[in-house]
Amino acid sequence: MRSLFTSLFLLLAGLAALVHATSSAGSRLLVISDDVAADKETYSTFLGDVESRGFDITFEAPKSESLKLFTLGERSYDHILLLPTKGKGIGPNLTPQALLDFYNAEGNILLTLSSTNTAPTSLVSVLLELDIHLPSDRTGTVVDHFSYDTLSAADLHDVLVLPAPGPYREDVKDLFSPSEDTTLAFPRGVAQSLGSGALLTPILRAPRTAYSYNPKEQSEGIESGDELFGVGKQLSLISTMQARNSARFTVVGSAEMLSDAWIEAEVQKTGTKDKVTVANREFARRVSGWTFKEIGVLKVNWIEHHLNEIGGSNESNPKIYKVKNDVTYSISMSEYVWDSWTAFTVPDTDALQLEFSMLSPFHRLPLHPVLSTSDSTIFSVSFKLPDQHGIFNFKVNYKRPFLTNVEEKNTVSVRHMAHDEWPRSYVISGAWPWISGVGVTVVGFVSFCAVWMYSAPAQSVAKGKKTQ
Amino acid sequence: MRFLNSFILGLFLAAGTAQAATSWGFGDAAVSVSAKKADSKVTEKFTEQSPLTSPLSLGSTDSLKLVLTTKENGKGKRPHQAFLLISEPNTGLEAPFPLDIKEDGKAKVDVSQKGLPVQLLASSKALKASLVVGSFGSAAPLDVFAFEIQIKSDPNSPIQTYEKPLRYGKMPEIHHIFRGDPTSPPIVVSLVFALAVAATLPGLFIAWIANGANLSHLPKAMAAAPVSHALFFGSIAAMEGVFFLYYSTWNLFQMLPAAGVLGGVAFLSGLKALGELQSRRLSGQR
Repeated sequence: MRSLFTSLFLLLAGLAALVHATSSAGSRLLVISDDVAADKETYSTFLGDVESRGFDITFEAPKSESLKLFTLGERSYDHILLLPTKGKGIGPNLTPQALLDFYNAEGNILLTLSSTNTAPTSLVSVLLELDIHLPSDRTGTVVDHFSYDTLSAADLHDVLVLPAPGPYREDVKDLFSPSEDTTLAFPRGVAQSLGSGALLTPILRAPRTAYSYNPKEQSEGIESGDELFGVGKQLSLISTMQARNSARFTVVGSAEMLSDAWIEAEVQKTGTKDKVTVANREFARRVSGWTFKEIGVLKVNWIEHHLNEIGGSNESNPKIYKVKNDVTYSISMSEYVWDSWTAFTVPDTDALQLEFSMLSPFHRLPLHPVLSTSDSTIFSVSFKLPDQHGIFNFKVNYKRPFLTNVEEKNTVSVRHMAHDEWPRSYVISGAWPWISGVGVTVVGFVSFCAVWMYSAPAQSVAKGKKTQ
Repeated sequence: MRFLNSFILGLFLAAGTAQAATSWGFGDAAVSVSAKKADSKVTEKFTEQSPLTSPLSLGSTDSLKLVLTTKENGKGKRPHQAFLLISEPNTGLEAPFPLDIKEDGKAKVDVSQKGLPVQLLASSKALKASLVVGSFGSAAPLDVFAFEIQIKSDPNSPIQTYEKPLRYGKMPEIHHIFRGDPTSPPIVVSLVFALAVAATLPGLFIAWIANGANLSHLPKAMAAAPVSHALFFGSIAAMEGVFFLYYSTWNLFQMLPAAGVLGGVAFLSGLKALGELQSRRLSGQR
């Protein structure tokens, strides 16, 4: 009986802990869908996963009257998930300006598209603001004749079978690949083309031989280069934009890859004989987790700088230093991973850098991890202040793809040497002739005073002069 | 009945094997580079198995023309995808050029420097051109390397450069280069000149003594006005002492009062002391 109670208690505690896990940016999720009941069925696994991560989900139709993104100037929701809708518009409450205001107020948006639906013009306008381009006619399909699912798309080739993306760049932590050698299915999706800004990052790019075409108008073939939307790596299947306020906007080109039919489906890639279960569920968890600020979120806990000299004061964060002081700077950072703050590690080829700058940096130094606790890492560096006096800033400017932006600035004065802090002249060997000159002058003057006051006239000379 | 079954089965088998063997390819492939004047034309032929071995040179006004016939299973047919992908070997960037294809598979495409993006024109190596042919259905698609293109830039026009867009990442380390500490000349030089200066003092004394300097009136002066002379000469010497203390430890606000006091002492005692000196002068002893 007792063991039953303890096991029951443990089970409840475990469940409570599971439900408690939530995003670092709030748990109010708004899902926009034309047919709420049907979409709840179609995406039940994905939405169930999202709800189990502690989100409070509200379902609304796009043209619903009661839908308000803002209440009394504050966001009513923290995140928005837009499922594909039919029809040209998405209602008066989801205008491009409203969505951008939501985004500027640090709300996160996950937008899914489908090649069977034409994207509404207001969403295309929002994407244009972010420099994400959709094919002309607001719809298209990505096909790849080399790597498709032979079980379901043997003829139309519109279900792409892709490997998990891997790290975006060597020095960027990979937040999205479930593990090595996993496969993803991308059925009937719309490709996007990204502008060249630093804020846009693709999560998943199309394979080299894939291309996008419009099934209605380009069913025979693509006539010329002007009509070709993109080929291969030019196409981004899942794109992200992280604004400077760290709000996240993700465009998933294929809403079907999140649906129950495909989230754990079996595919057979061209040229292979085995059926593979796709890792769409874990991938979807990570993509939605990134968009809703559950992973890839950084926080600065505290910053401390002090004078690092023997005999110097140990005041923390003084307002003023002297030129050429030895100074130590420490910063404590944490990373939010799914449900708690953990120690943040910088990838090997990357560096967290401290800039000591007036108008431009005098020093740009890597910060080394010094101490790792369970929920934060302390990075520190010691250096010598420049021999320029003025007002300087300790700047940490850490902006990386897929991580929230970290910008910290601490201003200090750096004063010049005081008049009594220079080395004394007797220490400077070049001054010795001058010092000896001073001494000779002093002794000579005092001796002259004595001789002049107390001497008797020199008899021999006077006598010599008189006799002449 | 059984004969009919096996006949149908045979048909299915034949169809199955025929389907498995269909693949896309191309034939009669010829690529030529012609200058604007179109008087000279270099035409090279290649096939799926044997691409061109030497790169084609494409000048700034030249136009590269590719003609071929796309074939499915040997028969000319129009595929949905027939691209010429030109890639830059250093970065892996690829530019697509769709071929203009007719229903019987005859395809052509023109490439000139004007149509190539600047990243490819600025490449230091020869560009690699591959042909990708594929279409819907079960026919196997084709992706083969065809030929290389060497970009010949016009010597008169400015060199094409490509500025990479900003991407967030680690920036180069900067270490401030400090101004050198102020230096003194070699100690030997300083010592020589210091000694030269110091040597003037004995020289001065020797010159004085040679010209008859003496202190013979000191007892007379001390007998006449001992306090005044002691204070006067003492205050002169003490003033030098104050200056030395100001040099070594004191600040101005410690030195000024002392100098003021000593100055007052020197003035008051000096009246008497120099008065005694005047009396000796007036009595003809000086």
